[in-house]
Amino acid sequence: MQLFQGGSVHTFLKIDPRTKLFLLLVVNIIMINGSTAGAAAIYKPILACLPFVLLLTGKRIVAAFVYGIIFAMAWVTDQYLSGYLSGGINIVIALVSGLSTRWLPCGMMGYYLMATTRVSEFVAGMEKMHVSQKIVIPLSVMFRFFPTVSEESGAINNAMRMRGIRVGGGKGGVIAIFEYRIIPLIMSTVKIGDELSAAALTRGLGGEVKRTNFCSIGFGMWDILMFLLGTVFIALYFLL
Amino acid sequence: MGYINVPFRNSVYSAVLSAVMEDKMVSIDNVSFTYGRGECDNGLKEIGLEIKKGETVLICGESGCGKTTLIRLINGLIPHYYEGKLSGGVLLKGKQIHKLPIYETAKYVGSVFQNPRSQFFNVDSTSELAFGAENRGLEYNEIEKRVIQTAEMFKMEELLDRSLFQLSGGEKQKIACASVSVCEPDIMVLDEPSSNLDITATEELKKMIGIWKAQGKTIIISEHRLYYLKDLIDKVVYMQEGEVSKTFSGDEFRDLSVSAMQSMGLRPLELEDVVKSKMISLPTGGAELKLVDFEYSHKKGGRDALKFSDELVLPKGNSIVIIGHNGAGKSTFATCLCGLIKKFKGVVKDDKVLKNKERLSKFYMVMQDVNHQLFAESVLEEVLLSMDKPDNKTAEEILSSLDLLEFKELHPMSLSGGQKQRVAIASALASGREYIILDEPTSGLDMKHMKEVAQNIRSLINTGKTVFIITHDIELIIECGTRVVHLEKGEVRDSYVLDQKGIKKVWKFFQDSREDNVY
Repeated sequence: MQLFQGGSVHTFLKIDPRTKLFLLLVVNIIMINGSTAGAAAIYKPILACLPFVLLLTGKRIVAAFVYGIIFAMAWVTDQYLSGYLSGGINIVIALVSGLSTRWLPCGMMGYYLMATTRVSEFVAGMEKMHVSQKIVIPLSVMFRFFPTVSEESGAINNAMRMRGIRVGGGKGGVIAIFEYRIIPLIMSTVKIGDELSAAALTRGLGGEVKRTNFCSIGFGMWDILMFLLGTVFIALYFLL
Repeated sequence: MGYINVPFRNSVYSAVLSAVMEDKMVSIDNVSFTYGRGECDNGLKEIGLEIKKGETVLICGESGCGKTTLIRLINGLIPHYYEGKLSGGVLLKGKQIHKLPIYETAKYVGSVFQNPRSQFFNVDSTSELAFGAENRGLEYNEIEKRVIQTAEMFKMEELLDRSLFQLSGGEKQKIACASVSVCEPDIMVLDEPSSNLDITATEELKKMIGIWKAQGKTIIISEHRLYYLKDLIDKVVYMQEGEVSKTFSGDEFRDLSVSAMQSMGLRPLELEDVVKSKMISLPTGGAELKLVDFEYSHKKGGRDALKFSDELVLPKGNSIVIIGHNGAGKSTFATCLCGLIKKFKGVVKDDKVLKNKERLSKFYMVMQDVNHQLFAESVLEEVLLSMDKPDNKTAEEILSSLDLLEFKELHPMSLSGGQKQRVAIASALASGREYIILDEPTSGLDMKHMKEVAQNIRSLINTGKTVFIITHDIELIIECGTRVVHLEKGEVRDSYVLDQKGIKKVWKFFQDSREDNVY
């Protein structure tokens, strides 16, 4: 498991992480409100196409089409079919389609952000937005720790299976098994964390000079277009 | 031969001296240190040491002799990160280290640590190389220039822009060395840098240290494995119980006899000496274990894939050493063999065919990182947990056979690395399993503990167990191996008995690995 990407990312459209964050915010503000009255019935589905297009440019073709199809079905159901059904099924269908139209585009924008942005780009983006080092450094440690925790957890899981420690295996109750799983995980991540802090200090982290960031991010033509697009949608949302 | 080197100069004199004579890089003057937490970490007693500019210094001695503490003193982690009681002075180019904040010390001293997994701060390799330079606030263009230069110098362009989590241990350690190099410090300290590396990666490490030496860097290395440093060292500091017991010049150290090295508890400088000393008797006859269709890969085309379909017959009651280059499939082989991979379809035939699930209760793997497999609150409980029918008396017998009885009430996590590993072996014994797999059991162990592990393996075979050992440690192979399986690119390259002829083959594999530095 890893939030954001480690190695290089191939996309057709290179967008600055700050722009992606802005678009994520725009999609969230507009889509989560469930109203589809008036102009919203037109600009919402158009906005919902944005994650679809962006995912295509990020070479996440399958994810893009799965999202596109589910959203289209949910939208059609929500808009045109829910009136014709009745009873329990109606409630379930209305609920599923309503939730999908609201949350799915937000989720996919988030997925796009994670799938096409490298950790270092995201951190550079935050530094350029003048987010405090007190937030940036713990966050970068967190990103670095996600894969570590899942590696460690996998190894511990293997060890437990080999020793025959499992629920219902006769070796301790559920709580004991939780303990067997959690304690080594905490122990090893604490140890890694301790060694990591020592290593980071010997490489000059925490000095008085302002850190630079060796990661080339910056706004280009597409960023300007995306900002304009996002602003238009926000204006539509608040003015109409 | 060596002489006792405890110069008692007062710090004022020393400070003046260092200021005047520029070639003194590090001078440690009558330093004593005790850790504040009162843990098992070992302190230092009245250390006196001078290191000149451009010297390559080896610090050696048994585990717990204070090597690591001495390294921490030079890179400023003591007293700023590891707190405790410090007396005496450490001068770095004439400056008192304990008065400098660590980020200042970091400009002069670059550190490489033991564990490649826990010393990188970023997720991708290029950011990691740039990290130290970023912390010093260097300009973008300057960082770029240095990163590219460093990558060229160490011939590692192909490692740029990669996720560090996809790299092998050796590649990670290469990144660690390079990222220190980007900051261009005058002094490099390395704390047991080869502990988790295989033969080929150790050879790469040697080359990197060689490049630093050619650049005129002052290099200080604490290490158990000595052979790869043979041609590099100018000075050797031998420590015992927190004191500098002897110092040698490089030539004096290279001239030491095999027995002198052994009596100091040091691993050999010349591995050919080890190969000559093989003594173990080979078990004869007995039942066989048959392996067929060992084909598995975690990811399509991923590294460490396994693909041999022909039958591999192995005699039981042996200690079977699995060797091969990095990515040859050794660890995949081990996890498949003990039944941990559900999708694995290969056949393991004992008296009858053993399915994955059955193998889980017949095989026991002692993992490279034993921290992953110790769960209980005391050593005794740990052993009892492995038994189908917990029985205090048998458990205590097992503990006493591994010299662990005195620790039975302690928490496993409070023990040293070697002791933890013995606890894992104890629980393997308690489980009564027929097959025991050890994954790199001696990485980072000193001579004494390596011999202990070898002794434990020999006694496992004597009780009729079959032991598989994945290792790069030729000393361990010679000490306790009886059979070799050589994997390469997922296939069985060779499988032979470890008699005199077998030893020659292993030795050849080892030498080939040293020469062919391709991962």
